Amino acid sequence: MGDLIGLAWSGVISGCLYAMGAIGIVLIYKSSNVVNFAHGNLAGLAAFIVFGFTAGILGNMAWGVAVVLTLAIMVVVMAASYLLIAPLVFKSDLTSTIATLGIGLVAQGVTQLVFGSNVVSMDLPLPAWKAQLGPIRVTSYDVAVLLVTATAIGLLYLLIERTRVGIAFRAVSANPFASRVCGLNLRNVHLFSWVVAGVLGLVASLLIVPTTFLSSTSVASFMLQAFAAAVVGGFSSLPGAVLGGIFIGVLMNLLSFYVAAEFNNTYQLAIILLVLNLFPKGVLAVRGGARV
Amino acid sequence: MSSLPLTTAAAQPVAAQPAAAGARRPLSAVLPALGLGVLLVLPLLAGGYWTFTLGLCFANAIAILSVSFLVRYGGEVSIGHGVFVAAGAYTVALMEKYLGLSVLAALPLAAVAGALLGAAFAFPSRHLSGIYLAVATMALALSLPEVLLHFSTLSGGYEGLYVKLDAVPGAAKSLQRYYLPLLGLAAVVLLLKNFRRSRQAMALLLIRTSAHAAESFGIRRSWARLWCMALSGAIAAIAGALLSFSSSTVSPNSFTLWTSIFLLVGSVVSLYSLSLVGSLVGGLFLTLMPLLLAGAGNWVPILYGAALLAVVLGVNALPPHVRARLEGGRT
Repeated sequence: MGDLIGLAWSGVISGCLYAMGAIGIVLIYKSSNVVNFAHGNLAGLAAFIVFGFTAGILGNMAWGVAVVLTLAIMVVVMAASYLLIAPLVFKSDLTSTIATLGIGLVAQGVTQLVFGSNVVSMDLPLPAWKAQLGPIRVTSYDVAVLLVTATAIGLLYLLIERTRVGIAFRAVSANPFASRVCGLNLRNVHLFSWVVAGVLGLVASLLIVPTTFLSSTSVASFMLQAFAAAVVGGFSSLPGAVLGGIFIGVLMNLLSFYVAAEFNNTYQLAIILLVLNLFPKGVLAVRGGARV
Repeated sequence: MSSLPLTTAAAQPVAAQPAAAGARRPLSAVLPALGLGVLLVLPLLAGGYWTFTLGLCFANAIAILSVSFLVRYGGEVSIGHGVFVAAGAYTVALMEKYLGLSVLAALPLAAVAGALLGAAFAFPSRHLSGIYLAVATMALALSLPEVLLHFSTLSGGYEGLYVKLDAVPGAAKSLQRYYLPLLGLAAVVLLLKNFRRSRQAMALLLIRTSAHAAESFGIRRSWARLWCMALSGAIAAIAGALLSFSSSTVSPNSFTLWTSIFLLVGSVVSLYSLSLVGSLVGGLFLTLMPLLLAGAGNWVPILYGAALLAVVLGVNALPPHVRARLEGGRT
């Protein structure tokens, strides 16, 4: 029983990070109907840029400065990625989704070219602190993840519920045609969702690094769990993405402990297939019929 | 998917220009035949290295056809077609290992295995839009190496399995490895050409053009999804069977997520063409690029990505009538 609670706890922690990745994917999908398969590769590139700034490859600066600088770079990179596929977005969802694969390949190649394909380790500047709450072992890393996720999701909530651009985002995801008739600029809303997704991706990929090593593909494969989370939550639901992320995190942890650890991707596949069968539109989506 | 990437032949303005279509017809009929003729005599002129590489290229071209078929007829993207190719390749290798059957006997079984696998993965997402299929196939592509390595006594583990038996006893091995994929490619192209005129093809295209209209005619969308994936999986498995024969080995290493993504890149480079020439362009790109870039390891993903973006954006930037002719002329 103690095992179970401890595993569930660490599953929730990694689930928070999957949730942040999934929110990015869902944001982009909701606003522009594009599934961004480059999400993991772009987030991985961002983590490597922070590593480069702090480890002396691109410079040697303090953590805070490096993160802020990388955030700025990420905003530019995400905006550039969106502008690259912008001519396709209104023409075909399928073609623009394929184009994001191209962006992902380029991001992956650039990461390998600049930073090599070696595995590196990067430490976050966290205090060494530990506490035992019954069966749960809480570390400073856990607290940091929970705090950062809560802050990020809270800010995103405020952004979407309380600001003009958030209202525009909701309008566009509800009905793009009506929003355009009302004079909204859809491009700006798309750009907003890409940039926010990129920022969330950067935060998630930085936080995932202490539990795994950083390599040119590690963040991309971590983001695959985010895709599974998005499927579980229904591809177009933001709360669903959060729930799906935590669900995937806990379930993967339990499966790899109680069944076998080497089948990570196979579990994901099984979860995706099972959820699609039981809840075709995700756990939190409303079922609707189609009109002829 | 709310908008379709490629309009079908029925919707093309080409039909309204009989003169232009008539003038282009002889060329479009002669060119593949001419190309096929050149390819048939090529092994007599070129060395063993080129016959080997081209054999692989033909098998890759079939795999690309299977991806293009799914895009053309289903309007779906699969990021996991490497898995169906692997299903075919492993079927052939296992049949030889345990039953001593050669590739020709195993080919139908490989196709059936691919079709069943395709239908099995389309089934959960049969009512949903294509993104779910794309994500499910991506997870499938990632989990394949894990599964293959776990059942290593059966699958040969990291080392994989060998395919050694001759398809036609007595003939030179290098020629077999060249001609069998070539014949396979020609047969698949021919089958697809005839399929275009069948009832099933009409139904699939109608569903892709307007799901609602098709449903009111009694054609179910979920049925079409299953059909498309099953056929596409079967073609991919045939490609895998021929690929394993031509390269004489199968291993988990050759069927990663990258394999599947590169197949999609090849399909985009061939403009989702279902013709001999188009699929060969994709196959050549996919087979020769890594050879040309052998020294530039890290540039390979960048180049593939850039090629993909360039084709997708370039085609989009063309004037509409040129684009229609490039894409839609013959589905």
